[in-house]
Amino acid sequence: MEISFNIGGEAGQGIDTIGDLLTQVFVQAGFYTFTIKDFESRIRGGYNFTQIRVSDKPIHASVDHIDVIIALSKDAVVGQRDRLTEGGVIIFDEGIEFDDLEACHFSAPLEKTAREVGGNIKMMNAAALGAIIAIINFPFTLVEQVLSDLFGRKGEKIVTANVDVAKAMYDLTKSNFMGTCKYNLESLERGPSKDKLILTGNKALALGAIAANLKWISSYPMSPSTSAFQDIVEHAFDLKIGALQTEDEIASLGMAIGASYAGARSMVTTSGGGFSLMVEALGLAAMTETPVVIYNAQRPGPSTGLPTRTEQADLLFMTFASQGEFPRIILAPKDPIEGFDVATRAFNLADKFQIPVMIMGDQYFADSVMNIPRIDVSGVKRDYGKLAKKGPDPDYKRYLLTKDGISPRAFPGDEGKTVVSSGNVHREDGHITEDPKLRALMVEKFMNKIPAIMADLEPPKIFGNEKAEITLLTWGSTWGAANEAMQILASNGASINQLHFCDVYPLRTVKLREVFTTAKQVIAVEQNITSQFAQLVKMQTGLEVTQHVNKYDGRPMTPGWIISELKEASIV
Amino acid sequence: MITPEMLEDPQKVTWCTGCGNHGILAALKKAVIELDRPVHEVAISSGIGCSSKIPHYIGGVNSIHTLHGRPIPIATGMHVVNTNLDVIVHTGDGDCLAEGLGHFVHAARRNVNLAVFIHNNGVNGLTKGQFSPSAPRGYISKTSPPPPGAPMDPVNPTAQAITAGATFVARGFSGDQKGLVKLMVEAIRHKGFAVIDILQPCVTWNHQLTWKYYNEHTYSLQDNDHDLTDKFQALAKAMENGDRYPVGVFYKVERPDLASGMALPDKGALKDHPTDLKDVQKIIDDLML
Repeated sequence: MEISFNIGGEAGQGIDTIGDLLTQVFVQAGFYTFTIKDFESRIRGGYNFTQIRVSDKPIHASVDHIDVIIALSKDAVVGQRDRLTEGGVIIFDEGIEFDDLEACHFSAPLEKTAREVGGNIKMMNAAALGAIIAIINFPFTLVEQVLSDLFGRKGEKIVTANVDVAKAMYDLTKSNFMGTCKYNLESLERGPSKDKLILTGNKALALGAIAANLKWISSYPMSPSTSAFQDIVEHAFDLKIGALQTEDEIASLGMAIGASYAGARSMVTTSGGGFSLMVEALGLAAMTETPVVIYNAQRPGPSTGLPTRTEQADLLFMTFASQGEFPRIILAPKDPIEGFDVATRAFNLADKFQIPVMIMGDQYFADSVMNIPRIDVSGVKRDYGKLAKKGPDPDYKRYLLTKDGISPRAFPGDEGKTVVSSGNVHREDGHITEDPKLRALMVEKFMNKIPAIMADLEPPKIFGNEKAEITLLTWGSTWGAANEAMQILASNGASINQLHFCDVYPLRTVKLREVFTTAKQVIAVEQNITSQFAQLVKMQTGLEVTQHVNKYDGRPMTPGWIISELKEASIV
Repeated sequence: MITPEMLEDPQKVTWCTGCGNHGILAALKKAVIELDRPVHEVAISSGIGCSSKIPHYIGGVNSIHTLHGRPIPIATGMHVVNTNLDVIVHTGDGDCLAEGLGHFVHAARRNVNLAVFIHNNGVNGLTKGQFSPSAPRGYISKTSPPPPGAPMDPVNPTAQAITAGATFVARGFSGDQKGLVKLMVEAIRHKGFAVIDILQPCVTWNHQLTWKYYNEHTYSLQDNDHDLTDKFQALAKAMENGDRYPVGVFYKVERPDLASGMALPDKGALKDHPTDLKDVQKIIDDLML
């Protein structure tokens, strides 16, 4: 079973709520869901949509076709009807006028039912849900449950009114809808999925950071990173987490460095534009060897670009940002499950190596919603790295030269130790110096950390047949679409696999060299125009990717789009 | 007990002979001793410039020497995660009032519990003599040659601090050791954003704002019946910026500080209050359908 819904309308009409309700119905019923949010950078009006894909098999990407369109505005029909599958249905409010209405489409009194039955046009959401469920012949019982879950806090009256509206619309649809939907799910009450945790990438990341014992977050709101910050702030009071919305991103990272210097795990969230402002402080974190986690939810640039859209074009910027040379780690989670794991690892890696760790998401990762298995936090390890022995030590040196480049940390407030740091080149005791030998030793101290960092990072993974002739090379959030494209092509007989990187930098090269030996063609699949990851691979290994699939229109890739690009280039 | 020996210079001081910073360093050492707090609970954040090299000239005190204009955000992070620390910011006019002015204003409105000591000499000294944001209109420097000299009015740090919401605002003079030590101790002990604009001649580059000039043009606020709690009177005194410079405390009031509005544990430092994984599991389980 597979079905996709597109719910469209103006910002502020509640399309997210309809989407959430519908997702919950299917998750309750045991299906896998994958939802993308496509919205404009405005508060009201315009045209936004939520697209939900439902399947009885695990899914990690959106698709191009739509089976059911729920339109709250005319644009929502016009914008999507070319993508409607044969036998698909458009449900729209009767207030929207069309001259080319087809019989299979359903002009529904959504607003009228909300007003007359519920007494509030806001209940259009419930009405739309009732209509959808009726059209696909899905049992109504689940609707009651999700409405009570969503509106339960507002009191029984609100729940009952919403259920009444949904039921009225459900009954009305059953008796009035003359078309037929090819999706008759009457016989399909239960799917196989037991995954009941519905999360965005940003929320998963936020939960991971909290589990990692994040004690300080300072951020400035910037799409598409903002919800990660908010998801942490929401729990700040109960869990005791210092959280502050700052005057700018310069202050954000500055405060996070101060907090970390004083002994708290700290983090900032931003997008590329905000990271641009943080670059100065990134260098300070590096020079003072202060651990910090920086999350960049990328959006298309340069400059303001497309605030609410997706791209992977900050990779080389983040890899090389700041004057000077120093180690850093870049992690790019592919989905919410990995997002939680990456967040917890990021804090451990930052502490262990006393360096900045950067997490690269993008709007697709940040806002897409999946249902995943329950996250069990008992497996979360908190490794604070090398710490100085407790008790007075008048000879304590914050930058003690060691074989592995890592000096034991102490913090202001530790009795009997003086902790001195500087963004200038410094001696072992932290006081500044211009001595050429010490300068060289301190640079080498940074670089001596790299072998251990490499050993600690996760190697890339090969998906599919190890010996395939064609390899799709991916990193971060494009994993899902590329993985599904690869599986479809492989099941149709193509010799194809996928090599995917979550831990992007420093680059692990062993698997790369193997793949470049086995595969006849390695194809970079990236959400940018210049295949930045492939460039990094070439720079670090000399291995050259010659075929590229690039998307840079701000909209996420789908498996179908990747397949058609590969076909067009005669690769498959 | 902190002894002067504990605070001995870890490095040779690199300031010019006769520089106003020497007086500030001497006053800081005396203030740290007079504070009578465990020395490991004192921490300095400094920016960039001659002023901000001070952590390297005072031993035994925790410090982080940061970026141009940014010592206040860094100090804010240090303070909130460990409110047991006395966090002192050393910054200059070129540091705090140029790149750092935005942070300064926002820290003041947050009333974050820091003591900010601005080494104010009207010139960018370490970069060798350009006009700073506090240089008077017409000030002649390498980047403001005559005519017309600096083509703008100076930033007024005390007035900025008062209007932005700082709860302790004072002016000190490097040449008045006794007065400066007293102000420093009071500023560090004050619970809230405390600013001291410290007049300190740059003997190498600034031939206008000299020791002689300040000795002749400063007068004590406290000897002249100034009301510390009257914001408008404080502002009027802060605007007296030209022929005569009032020295002393302009403004001192009690207001909730930033930390009191944050999710800090009842006891101990935030950094020592780990999140219980059971609570995280509960958040996750509550999200489950």
